[in-house]
Amino acid sequence: MLAACLAASVTAFALRVRFLVALLRAGAPVARAGDTALRARNEGTIVLGQRKLLQRIGPGLIHAFIFWGFLVLAPTILIAMIGAVDRRDTLPWLGDQGWYALAVDIFAVLVLVGVACAFWIRKVQRPERFRGSHLGEADLILALIAVIAATLLLWHATRDALHLNEYRAAWEPVSDALSGLFSRGGATRVLERAFVWAHVVTILGFLAYLPRSKHLHIVSAAVNVWYGRTRHRGRLEPLRFDDPSVPEEQIRFGAGTSAELTWKEMLDTFTCTECGRCQDACPAYATGKVLSPKLVIMGLRDRLLADGPAIVAARSDRAGGGEGAPELEPLVPGAVPEESVWDCVTCGACVQACPVSIEHVDHIVDLRRHLVMVQSSFPPEAEPMLRDIERASNPWGKAQSERADWAADLGVRVLEAGDEPPEYLYWVGCAASFDERARAAARATAMLLARAGVDFAILGPREACTGDPARRIGNEYVFQALAEQNVQTLNEARVTKIIASCPHCFNTLSSEYPDFGGRYEVVHHSQLLARLVAQGRLKPRRASDALRITYHDSCYLARHNDVLEEPRELVAAVGEPVEMARSRRQTFCCGAGGAHMWMEERGSQINDNRVAEALATGADTLAVACPFCTVMLDDGVQGAGGRMRVADVATLLVEAGAAEP
Amino acid sequence: MNIVWVDSAEDELSQQAVAFARALGGEVMPVSFAAEEAYAPAAWAQTLVELVAARGASAVLAPGSDRGNELLAHVGAKLDQPMAANCTRLEPGSPARVLRVRWGGSLLEEATIDGSPVLATVAPHAVAAEPFSEPEILSVAASASDLDRAVRVSERVQAAGAGVSLADADVVVSGGRGVGSAEGFAVIEELAELLGGAVGCSRAVTSAGWRPHSDQVGQTGTKISPEIYIACGISGATQHMAGCKGAKRILAINPDAEASILASADYAVIGDLHEIVPAISAQIRKVRGASAP
Amino acid sequence: MNILVCVKRVPLTGGRIVLTEDQRAIQTRHLGFTVSPHEECAVEEAIRLVETHGGSSTVLTLGPAEAEEQLRDMMAIGADRAIHLTTDGLEWDPQATAAAIVDAVRAAGEAFDLLLFGNESADAGNYQVAIRVAHALGLPCVTGVKALAIDGGRLRAEQEVAGGRDVYELGLPAVVTVKEGINLPRYPSVPGRMRAKRKPLEASAPQRPPARLEMQRLIVPEGPSKQAEILGHGPEAAPRVVEILQEIGVL
Repeated sequence: MLAACLAASVTAFALRVRFLVALLRAGAPVARAGDTALRARNEGTIVLGQRKLLQRIGPGLIHAFIFWGFLVLAPTILIAMIGAVDRRDTLPWLGDQGWYALAVDIFAVLVLVGVACAFWIRKVQRPERFRGSHLGEADLILALIAVIAATLLLWHATRDALHLNEYRAAWEPVSDALSGLFSRGGATRVLERAFVWAHVVTILGFLAYLPRSKHLHIVSAAVNVWYGRTRHRGRLEPLRFDDPSVPEEQIRFGAGTSAELTWKEMLDTFTCTECGRCQDACPAYATGKVLSPKLVIMGLRDRLLADGPAIVAARSDRAGGGEGAPELEPLVPGAVPEESVWDCVTCGACVQACPVSIEHVDHIVDLRRHLVMVQSSFPPEAEPMLRDIERASNPWGKAQSERADWAADLGVRVLEAGDEPPEYLYWVGCAASFDERARAAARATAMLLARAGVDFAILGPREACTGDPARRIGNEYVFQALAEQNVQTLNEARVTKIIASCPHCFNTLSSEYPDFGGRYEVVHHSQLLARLVAQGRLKPRRASDALRITYHDSCYLARHNDVLEEPRELVAAVGEPVEMARSRRQTFCCGAGGAHMWMEERGSQINDNRVAEALATGADTLAVACPFCTVMLDDGVQGAGGRMRVADVATLLVEAGAAEP
Repeated sequence: MNIVWVDSAEDELSQQAVAFARALGGEVMPVSFAAEEAYAPAAWAQTLVELVAARGASAVLAPGSDRGNELLAHVGAKLDQPMAANCTRLEPGSPARVLRVRWGGSLLEEATIDGSPVLATVAPHAVAAEPFSEPEILSVAASASDLDRAVRVSERVQAAGAGVSLADADVVVSGGRGVGSAEGFAVIEELAELLGGAVGCSRAVTSAGWRPHSDQVGQTGTKISPEIYIACGISGATQHMAGCKGAKRILAINPDAEASILASADYAVIGDLHEIVPAISAQIRKVRGASAP
Repeated sequence: MNILVCVKRVPLTGGRIVLTEDQRAIQTRHLGFTVSPHEECAVEEAIRLVETHGGSSTVLTLGPAEAEEQLRDMMAIGADRAIHLTTDGLEWDPQATAAAIVDAVRAAGEAFDLLLFGNESADAGNYQVAIRVAHALGLPCVTGVKALAIDGGRLRAEQEVAGGRDVYELGLPAVVTVKEGINLPRYPSVPGRMRAKRKPLEASAPQRPPARLEMQRLIVPEGPSKQAEILGHGPEAAPRVVEILQEIGVL
């Protein structure tokens, strides 16, 4: 009888898993190999150690109890099945250990406590992050877990009452206490059978249900965490347009249908538990936009599972020599509304918040890629930027011949073709070259570098846009053309070290250009300036009535690239630092990322939200290290009628006299 | 003798063309077509060709308007002679030398024109207008072929949009990329309305879908000649400036003190247009309110 | 219907024009290039007409080797084939340009129902190539068109004039020059760009005849050397602005 239940349950589980694995194998390829040590460490910290879950201590502990409980209680599944067959039998050795019984007791209780708290959160507290999640399914799963833990305790209680265990009942105090409810008689014997069978059947039923519900994460999460990014969190996976082995009609231009998702993107959707932490972290969602990263993943999952049979069938058809291409509905707007796709600022807060290493930005960018590159569909206000970045080599459509105008009176060396390379190539970026507010940081940086005697030069008109806005809006093709052009320029100039003052340039140059043959040592200007200050080559003076300065972390600097402390060192050198609550990797976006600098009035409200937080610190100055942040936050301060001054850390250094002889 | 095709004696560009012709020396003969004659460029050109032969003209000139350029291009094609469009100077000779306009006015070209008669249109606002007496009225020559007559205006459709025509407005208030969105144009519209002017925009704005092309000021859009052109959030690319060369005065409202438009503007206010433009509108209301009885 | 569209490669000039040392060309070393704006709209119009009426479109340019970039860009948005009349980079005057185009049209295997041009090129702005082509081919020509409709071998065109639009009606074949604003050119898809690389492009190198309108040198106009009077910063400048408006008399 047990054998029958077990067979049925395992078969049901296996069939579903086979289907899911077949889907994953049909997914587009993506390289996630190497860095084994780091991956193993992530398994230890994120999975076993529940590190990301514990970012929220309350719900984190609740889940940890249930998860660690599951790990500790796992052998009890075998024990229960053995015991269901023969009440006297148990797992060899482990089943007789008192200390294990103690552990089981404690963790079973912790599981029940966890479940109870989880119910309290969901039913009483009702946090916003669950809006849109399937709460009914979650309730069922929690209930099943509770039943499993409860039947286990009750079974142990009846066993204690019947003195069936090898170890002394005192080893499992809770079960022992419960055993007082049961007499030593025949009714208890029946109940003992009842509880063990209830326990086993619930587990087996759960096993069959598991891969058909979001509880699949207990299997997929460990795998998903293994395959998450280990380094270069800000790097997007490149597409290949010129693979000779891929016929043109089969080139992947991002994800138009679910069949075009990569296997990692598919695995991401299988792993989502609908916890909503990403939704909570998303600046677009926080400012009332349509986008919820959680709903994006859920929408993709549902569509993928619905399309699954067709995808798997088509793949085996092709393997057998057929033409098989499944007719699938487009993901946008079918699975994900169009506004969601464009609302994203690629800040990565969702990816950071996710306890199971889902990488939502990849999905959104892949959806954008298909819309932009195949359907030529994108917010119309981005059209000038797309045309200009390609034709004029910068998103503002200004003449490249004017790119070094900002440096005209500073005596900055412009590197011509064939010149001897400088020690550092200062990559200025389009914003600092052409935008009046961003220009100040470039001028300040150039002055400071000169003062410190750093050997540097700029490319001037030969510096084309790194292509970040094109890549983030989804036009991977135009991005790659720019990347290849820039890499050629840099390599021919024999550049080895680059200073970038724009975090987007910094991110692209350091983590994305290696894919195109560009390998350079890239530092952000705040990093080099901090080093120069520490070495005493720059001497900023901190006034006695030092300004109170709050520093805003740029997403592309802090979250994507872990540059956290150096800008703070600069701030501390010139003023009195005061931190915002959402700082370092928990920073809140300024709203310009994901090409939003060129869309719908430039990320309205996200910057207002952040500016409100900055103003609330009471600081005089809002320090930034990014030209986009400079413009967005300055817009926000002016819009709020605030009296806070927004300035780049380089500008603040110059104002503190660091550039003076 | 210099034949000058003119639109009418009252038309400013025509008066400029006649002044230009007079400066060449020799007899100047302004000609025009009867008001009832539907515009038919090839047929009109054929008429001019006959006139050239009949009067022994050494040059045929016209204002550098759409029609002037088109007519003289047809004359050039029929006579297989070169035509220099939009000239600011013409020195007769063999060959004649012209200074003509490129890039909508952002560049000038010195060229030789080896043809007879010399065919040239006069760049708008290159010379001051001079009044002239009624032109000789022509009717379409009998020698105009069926092909010549095939292209003629069959009807005139009135402009759909209400409000002030951009090309004629005395005041134009324009917005560029700096406006940020379609909705952002509300402040521009407000100021334009207060001043009884027209709303214009740059090419980036049209490309972004915020305003229709009919609002676009520039080399490939509408060329304006207002008393004052208020350019908000416009950096001053040459192809935009080519559209407002005719403006008597330019006021630039821009956050960037180094924007190229400031080199072409008479006045500038540095700062955010979203604050400055409403402030100007408010000030106008205040001043009008104060002066109202 | 068979449509020919003629385009020209022009630089994107930015805030000011800089000349080469010999003053006979614009310094284009760090400038991007594009199809002249009116002409890009002409290509879009041709593609739309072919989408509606069937047939094919051919894009043609007389220009240097680099102009192939513009031809491929136009094929990327939907033109079916290209004709490249290659030059060594030296300018051709309008008569020579028209003659070369006429030769190419006659040499082309097919008859064109419609020849589209931009009203004038952004750089030289001679306003006459299309008209000369029309004359040579014995075709009617209507210019400055902002709206075009074709029905049963007849064409209806609207030309913008002060206060409205003039309407022309002609039979095909015909030559039409259009102005930017007739449509909004579409953005190319990447599959379109890839297909464009393989679409047929016929190149030939016509002989440049002597120029009859010959550029001697270029001059960047001085301009009334203005340096804008800064009336103020921010909204505080409003009263001064209004004073000026009053002085001018527009208030």
